Amino acid sequence: MLKEFGIGLSLILGICLVCQATEPIFPYKYNVEVLPNGLKVITIPMESNGIVAYYSITRTGSRDEWEPAHSGFAHLFEHMMFRGTEKYPGPLYDKIMTELGADANAYTTDDYTCYHLNFAATDLEKIIEMESDRFIDLKYNEQDFKTETGAVYGEYLKGKISPWFVLYEKLYDTAFDKHTYKHTTIGFEADVKAMPGMYKYSKSFFKRYYRPENVVLLIVGQIETARTLELIHKYYGKWQSGYVAPQIASEPPQTAERIAEVSYPGKTLPILMVAYKSDAYDPDNRLYIAGLLLEQLAFGENSDLYKRLVLKEQKVEFITANFSVNRDAKLNEIYTMVKSEDDLDYVREQIYMTMEQFKTEVVDDTRLEELKMHLRYSFLMYLDTPDNVAGNLANYIAITGGIETVNQLFANIMTVTAVDIQEAAQYYGMPAKRTVIILKGVES
Amino acid sequence: MKTKTVKIYLWGFMTSLLISSCAKIDDSQCVLLPVAEDPTICFRIYFKVGSHDDPIGKEGLAYLTSQMLTDAATQNNSYDEIIAKLFPLAASYNSSVSVEMTVISGRVHKDNLTAYYPLLTDAILKPAFNEDDFNRLKSNILNYLENVLKYANDEELGKAVLYQTIFEGTAYGHLPEGLINSLQNISLDDIRDFYRKMYNRQNVVIGLGGGYDNLTLEKLKKDLAKLPSGTENIATKNVPYDIEGLKVTIVEKEANATAISLGFPINITRDNPEWYALAVANSWFGEHRNSSSHLYQVIREARGLNYGDYSYIEHFPNGGRRQFPPVNVARHQQIFEIWIRPVPNETRHFVLRATLRELTNLVENGLTKAQFELTRNFLQKYILHYAPTTMMRLGYAMDDRFYGIQGSHLENFQNALEAMTVNDVNNAIRKYLQYDNLQIVFITNQAEKLRDDLIANTPSPIKYATPKPKVVLAEDKQIVKYPLDIKAENIYIVDVNDLFQ
Repeated sequence: MLKEFGIGLSLILGICLVCQATEPIFPYKYNVEVLPNGLKVITIPMESNGIVAYYSITRTGSRDEWEPAHSGFAHLFEHMMFRGTEKYPGPLYDKIMTELGADANAYTTDDYTCYHLNFAATDLEKIIEMESDRFIDLKYNEQDFKTETGAVYGEYLKGKISPWFVLYEKLYDTAFDKHTYKHTTIGFEADVKAMPGMYKYSKSFFKRYYRPENVVLLIVGQIETARTLELIHKYYGKWQSGYVAPQIASEPPQTAERIAEVSYPGKTLPILMVAYKSDAYDPDNRLYIAGLLLEQLAFGENSDLYKRLVLKEQKVEFITANFSVNRDAKLNEIYTMVKSEDDLDYVREQIYMTMEQFKTEVVDDTRLEELKMHLRYSFLMYLDTPDNVAGNLANYIAITGGIETVNQLFANIMTVTAVDIQEAAQYYGMPAKRTVIILKGVES
Repeated sequence: MKTKTVKIYLWGFMTSLLISSCAKIDDSQCVLLPVAEDPTICFRIYFKVGSHDDPIGKEGLAYLTSQMLTDAATQNNSYDEIIAKLFPLAASYNSSVSVEMTVISGRVHKDNLTAYYPLLTDAILKPAFNEDDFNRLKSNILNYLENVLKYANDEELGKAVLYQTIFEGTAYGHLPEGLINSLQNISLDDIRDFYRKMYNRQNVVIGLGGGYDNLTLEKLKKDLAKLPSGTENIATKNVPYDIEGLKVTIVEKEANATAISLGFPINITRDNPEWYALAVANSWFGEHRNSSSHLYQVIREARGLNYGDYSYIEHFPNGGRRQFPPVNVARHQQIFEIWIRPVPNETRHFVLRATLRELTNLVENGLTKAQFELTRNFLQKYILHYAPTTMMRLGYAMDDRFYGIQGSHLENFQNALEAMTVNDVNNAIRKYLQYDNLQIVFITNQAEKLRDDLIANTPSPIKYATPKPKVVLAEDKQIVKYPLDIKAENIYIVDVNDLFQ
C-alpha cells in the first residue's frame, strides 16, 4: 500500500528556494507506474480544494508526420478525439462532460498532443472511464471525418490572418530540408486542404500512434495514488500495445546561412527573425544547457541588447528569444518587431554583434547567478494549482517520457559557468547555422 | 554577504515604517485575502479611474497614464534598472485599464518581498514621467491600434467595433487604448495632470492576498496614504442610446473569413440577484469556449461552419486567449453579446440568420426543465475552476467591492444555483433579453453585396462538403429564408483603415 501525502505549498517553496543545487527542484512527492501494456502513469497528490488535473500526454506531434503530403494529422486528431466512441458517442461525451462541469480541452505542438481536463475529485472514476474509452475505442465515420477536416481548414485560414503565422511557416520551410520540423503544427496548406480525402490514412495514423507505450497520464491534485492506480488498471488495462515509431528523416547539418523574405497580406510593422539550429533537448549536454541560458542573457528583457534597442534607441517595439526545448534539434529563435523598415539591417547587425560579443567575452558571474535565481523562482511560483503543475511538466514529459528530467535540468543549470556560456555562444552562434526571415506587410 | 544585504534591507524597511506619515488609508479601503500557507504575496491596487474618465480629444489618457506607472521609470530607478531588479525575483507588476477600473497588480514570493515592495510602491507613488518612456509606450499603443487590431485579429476587432458602436457618444464609446488621433494629442503634461487628479487617496482600494503579514499591510496603508488627497471618482452609469431595430456595421477589409459580433445593452449587473438566473440562461445558450454552448452546437457541431460560437452577459475581453472570465474589468453598464468566430464569407448571411433565429427561440421559449437542470449541474462544478489561485480570488474580491456585493460573488453564485428554478431563469430571459433591437458587426469583404443581401432578405442557400442529417437540412430550409427586418438606413459600411481615428 502506498502512503503519500501532499505537502503545504509554503513548506515546499520555503525549503526549495534556499536549497542547494543538488537538491531536487520539483517540490511534490510523485509516483510513477508503468502498466504491462506500456502506459506510464504519473500521480502527484496535492492540496487543491477538491480539483484534479488529468493530462493525457500523447507523444505524437507534427514532428511525427513523416509521410510526404500528410502533415497536420496530429493536430487533426486533437479534434477527432472529441468525436466519441460506440459507448460514448460525441454528443453523449459532451453531455456527460457538461454534467460533470469539467474544463476539458486539448492542444497540439510539434512534439506532442495533450488532452487535459480539470474536474471535481469526486468524478475521478467517471473521467478515467471516459478518457480510457476514447483512447482505446475511438470511432468516427467518414462523414464525421470530413466535417472535422473542414473545421481544421477553417482554423488554418483563421490562423493565417496573423503575421506570426506567416512568419513561422516561412521560417520552418526555409530552415529545414529533410526533418518534419519543416512544417508548422497545423500543417502545409495543401495537405490540410487535401485532408477530407484521407479517411483511411487517418485510421492508420490513430492505430500506429494512439497506443499505450506512446502515452503518459499525468494526474495531479486531490487524489489518492493507490486508488487512482487501481482505476487506471481497471480501465486502461485492456488497451493493446502496438506503437509504430515514425521514420523521421535526420536533418543534415546546415552549412551556410539562409535568408528569405516573406510578405504579409495586411498591415504590420516589419518582423525580423534570426534563428540558429540547436540540438535536441538533453539536460546532460552541458553545451545545450548553457545555450538555453544564453536566451535570456543575450536577448531577454534584462539583456543589454533589449535595453539598447527597445528602451534607449527605441528602434524596435520588442525583442525576445525562444530557444529550443524539443525532442529533436530545432531552432534557437530571436525575433523582433522593427519600427522602421530602414532599421532592419541595423537591428540585424546588432543581433549578430551580440552573439559575437558572447563568443569573445565572458559573462558577468552576478548576472549568471541572477538568471539562475530567476529560473528557479519562475518555475516554482507557478506550481500552485494542479493545472499549473501539470501544464508546466507536460512538455518535459512529452520530450523525455518522464518527470525526472526536471530535477536533472535544474540541477545542471545550477552548475553552468560563464565559460560554458561562452562556449555555447561559439557553438550555437555560428553564422552557418543561421536562418534569417524578414516579414513585411503588403499594405504597410 | 547575502545575509548581510538582507538584514540591511529589513532594517531599512522597519525604519521607514516608523517614520512614515501618520496619514493612513482607511480599513474600509482594503480588500484582504490572507492565505497563510501561500508562500507568495498578491497585490491588486485598484484605482477608481478608467477610460471613461478620458477627456474628449484625449482618448487613451487613462491607459497611457497607467502604463507610465508600471512600464516606465520611477524617480528612484530608470526603467532598465527596474527590470534588472525585478529579474532575479521572477516577479513583476503591471496595470490593466478598463472603462471604470485601473488595477496595478503583482505577485512575489515572500523571500523577495523586501526587494520587491519599494519597486511596486515607487511605481505608484513616484513615477518619473520621462519623455523616452512616454514616446516608447505611445508608439506601442499606436501600433496596436493601427496594425495589430485592424489586421491581425478580426475577432477582437469585431468586438471592439461592437462596443464602440453601441456606446457611441458616451464615455464608454472608445477602447481603453484610445483613439489614434487623440493619442497623438496627449502630452506628458496631460499625463502628469491626470495622475495628480485621479491617483488620489480617496480613489484607491488596496487588495492584498496570500501569505502577507500585518506589518506589510500596515506599511502599505501608510505608504499609499502619501497619495495626494482628492475627490473620490464616483462612477456614473454610461447609458447608451437606444438601439432601434437591427443595426448593422460592416467593416470592409480583405478577409478570407467573416467575423461576426452582435449585442445590445442589458440593464443588469452581477449585484442584482436576478443576474444568476440570467447567467444560467447565457451558459446554456453560449458558454464561453465550451461545446455545451447551444450556439456552438448549432453552428459548429451540426454544420461545421466555424470554430466556436458563444454569448456573454458581462464584458469578456480577449476571449480567444482565456478559458474563464477575467477579473477587474467590472463596469456598471453591460451588454449581452454574441461572438461568432469567423465563418466562410459565403455563409455569413446564413449564419446571421441562424444566430438570430436561435436568439429568438431562446427569448420566446426559454429553457426546458431538462436544459435548466443540465446547465445548473454544469455550473455548480464549472465555476470551481474560475478562481483557482489566490491572485484570481483576490481579483474576484476586488470586483465584489466594485459592485458592492455582500459576501463573495462566487459563493453567492453557488447558493443561487442551489435555490434556482427554471421559472427564475425564464423570467430573467423575458425581462432582460430581446431580439428586436440589436447592433450587428461584420468584419468582411464585399461589403456592398452583403448590404444588398441584407436589405433584400436574399435567401442564403448553403452547401456542405459532407452530407448532413435530415433534421439539420430541414432546419436549414427555414434558416435560408429566415426574414430579418434590416433597413437600408440602418446599415453602415466603414473601411478598416478609418476605424479608431
